[in-house]
Amino acid sequence: MSSIRLRLLKWLVGPILVFNLGAAALTYLLAWTPAQLAFDEGLRAAAGALAGRVRAEGPAALAAGGAPNDGAGETSWTALHGADGRLLAGDAGLPAPAGAGLFDARLQGEPVRIAAAALDWQGAPATLSVARTVRARAQVRSAIVRSLVLLEGVFSLALIGLVWFSVGNGLAPLARLRARLDARGSADLAPLDDAGMPRELAPVVDAFNALLGRIEAGARAQDEFRANVAHQLRTPLAGLKLQLEWLAARHAADQDSVRSLKLMLGANERMIRQTNQLLSLERAEPNRFARARLLPLDLAALVAESIQHFVEQAAAKDIDLGFELDAAPLQGDRFLLRDLVDNLVDNALRYTPAGGRVTVACGAAADGGAFLRVEDNGPGIPVHLRTRVFERFVRLDEQSVGSGLGLAIVRDIANLHGAELVLGEAQEGSGAVFTVQFP
Amino acid sequence: MPHNVRQSYFPISSRMHILLVEDDAVLADGLTRTLQAQGMQVEIARDGLQADALLQRTPPMVAVLDIGLPGIDGFEVVRRLRARGAATPVLLLTARDAVEDRVRGLETGADDYLVKPFATPELVARIRALARRNAPKSAVLALGNIVLDSSARRARVGERPLELSVREWAVLEYLLQHAGRVVSKQQIVDAIAPWGEDLTLNAVEVYVSRLRLKLDGAGVSLRTIRGFGYLLEAGA
Repeated sequence: MSSIRLRLLKWLVGPILVFNLGAAALTYLLAWTPAQLAFDEGLRAAAGALAGRVRAEGPAALAAGGAPNDGAGETSWTALHGADGRLLAGDAGLPAPAGAGLFDARLQGEPVRIAAAALDWQGAPATLSVARTVRARAQVRSAIVRSLVLLEGVFSLALIGLVWFSVGNGLAPLARLRARLDARGSADLAPLDDAGMPRELAPVVDAFNALLGRIEAGARAQDEFRANVAHQLRTPLAGLKLQLEWLAARHAADQDSVRSLKLMLGANERMIRQTNQLLSLERAEPNRFARARLLPLDLAALVAESIQHFVEQAAAKDIDLGFELDAAPLQGDRFLLRDLVDNLVDNALRYTPAGGRVTVACGAAADGGAFLRVEDNGPGIPVHLRTRVFERFVRLDEQSVGSGLGLAIVRDIANLHGAELVLGEAQEGSGAVFTVQFP
Repeated sequence: MPHNVRQSYFPISSRMHILLVEDDAVLADGLTRTLQAQGMQVEIARDGLQADALLQRTPPMVAVLDIGLPGIDGFEVVRRLRARGAATPVLLLTARDAVEDRVRGLETGADDYLVKPFATPELVARIRALARRNAPKSAVLALGNIVLDSSARRARVGERPLELSVREWAVLEYLLQHAGRVVSKQQIVDAIAPWGEDLTLNAVEVYVSRLRLKLDGAGVSLRTIRGFGYLLEAGA
């Protein structure tokens, strides 16, 4: 992952440092060169003056050995060399100069600057050289360098700070955009508000909104499709059911008709159930852009709403259906949860033999969540099948009448609510216990 | 048969006039026959505008209204009905549970709703409940062989007079009013002791068990829903 901030910083701070270094070098040259020239001029003048004195007074004007202090904290040496480089007078430590001019050398382990002046000595050309230590120059130079380093260092730091701040400031709209995105619910497909967004981010926001729009349109089309399927399937099924019931009541005396109508009504019920399950499976689809709204509700009230339907189903099989409903507050989607309750209870009623017993319980769990428990005294579910029963289209045996979707729906809805689904066995005797533990 | 379609627990005083609005011919026909078998008088409309006109001309006791109608939909029919200030009870039928929110939100002004396909006894029970809400308080309730006459304060099973305490009367009356529907013990307590009188759920159980003895041979079944409540239905 590359970082805009790092890129900007790299491309701003690097050049700033290079420019500052260049500026420092230039400043150094500009400050140091005139000083150097002034020093050299002084040295050349000293050499010229001394040459005049030697011409007038003879070699005695040259003091033997280094003059420890010439008044400016420097040590000086002087020497007179003949044209052939032979030392005529003065300090033997000085190298013979190649001619008049200025050059650098080392003398007694210390760097010196030497000025040489030409003169006639006893009719032959000779060179007078004056060597002087460069202590003052070194001081001046180091003063210049110190000031420059300090100045440029402070400048560079100030610039880097400014750049850092500006980059952060420039990237602030991105941070705001991110904050807006973070603040959205996972299913919020409303377009992003581009108020206060800089012009440079507008294309990004537009592209993002276009994407959201397409997703929203897709989700709406999916809802629309689902609603149409629901209407197109459920209405004729409802009509068929009523017609068959009416026919069955009319032909209650004719054994053959009764048998046939019973089969048809059974098939009709299965189709209704399959339709409802496919629709609720689609609604609970985890990767669907489900607008699941988790609102506070009481599971006990939700179960109570469905009781009528359960009671009729249980009565048909002579199953003793009981309830232990205590207040079970939780955050959930009421339609999805009703599907969950319906499918769990339906599953229990379906797999419990006639004359059996099913108990639906809910309440607040000790650790703060809520629980739903559906317990039956049917055959139970073998341990090796317990992980598989929640898969789609898995049935325990070929004879069973379910679609194999009910528990998959239960699992999907439990997942959507962050609930834990546990399948256990009854405390005494046989039977299955499904527990949904809500956070 | 999953249930008996020929139950007869309607007030004997009048034939219930129902307006049924459903565009699906098979379902409309089935509903008509089923409701007629319950002694109801059924008038049919095929679309929203026709329903709107009929609701104005001959207000029914209950309107059973499909939501997905040609012309104007069920929501709009209810909206117009309520805009006219009519209090006609409305039961909406829907095939789309996606609209449950809107229906439930009562923003439509409907009184109840059912998702297709529905259990027939449930439909009948809900229509009766809505009819009772607006009807002049019916003095006589009947189910199976039970006849409960509130104005004369007399109850009988067939020809046998039924001696009931005040509380037993109240419980039986509530159960008869909600015949075909599961009622919770708490609902009974709330209905017969509405001002927080000291009535426990256990007391309700006692009254119901006494009623059960007295209703022997009344041609009704009074089923106990363990841990919840009761269901009174016609049929032994």
